[in-house]
Amino acid sequence: MEYEFTLSFKLAASEADTDTLIERLGAAGCDDALVGIGQSRRIALNFTREASSAQDAIVSALRDVRKAIPDARLVEAGPDLVGLTDIAELVGVTRQNMRKLSLAYADSFPVPVHSGSVALWHLSHVLRWLSDRGRYEIESPIMEVARVTMQINLVKEAALIEQRVRREVRDLVA
Amino acid sequence: MARARHPKKEIEAAIRYAEASGWRVAVGGSHAWGKLYCPYNDAECRCGEFCITSIWSTPRNPGNYARKLRRVVDNCAARKRLANSVGGASDLE
Repeated sequence: MEYEFTLSFKLAASEADTDTLIERLGAAGCDDALVGIGQSRRIALNFTREASSAQDAIVSALRDVRKAIPDARLVEAGPDLVGLTDIAELVGVTRQNMRKLSLAYADSFPVPVHSGSVALWHLSHVLRWLSDRGRYEIESPIMEVARVTMQINLVKEAALIEQRVRREVRDLVA
Repeated sequence: MARARHPKKEIEAAIRYAEASGWRVAVGGSHAWGKLYCPYNDAECRCGEFCITSIWSTPRNPGNYARKLRRVVDNCAARKRLANSVGGASDLE
């Protein structure tokens, strides 16, 4: 199966010039990714990787990048955190259509992770909801990818947890 | 036309598609064949990471890769803004 996902990284200040890094990524097997270098000290790889599972695809991609650029730090695995526009694009409907759904089924539509001037959801939860309602055919590769990218981002964020706080609040926020 | 052609036909076609939308091409590299530069890559542009996109000499799947390159051009936020201001109809409220 083919899995599409994006990994974006922050580069260390000491890192070699981007042309050298791109050559190393090519040598490390990232020739199935589009490499974006539009933001300084950042590098983004949009993969379409053939593998037996989304997890295999994404983990092997993380390994390849680690091999090429050991000091690169993952910023985000995507698609995971998404707004209504992103969801609409991924599902292939208009943004208005998506917004209507979220309002008409406010009781069951997934709760956003963040709502402020923008609202963000975990894509995995929204795809699951759409698929459970049987309203939209959601292809299984993207469902799998969204589940794994969310897990990877959670693992990365978990490094920030302070154990003293965790012990005190984990039952309160469960 | 002065620049070298990309050896893969479908990728050369995608590069020309980008050029037709104003993207600049710089050739050079070994695993890399060159780079595409978005004409709108300035402080106001939101697309960010793929405003400069590297192009492989021999991508694993040239068909997939050519599609990705075209999508970067199509997804450019500045280009969409222009299209909307010309066409009028936008689905953003």
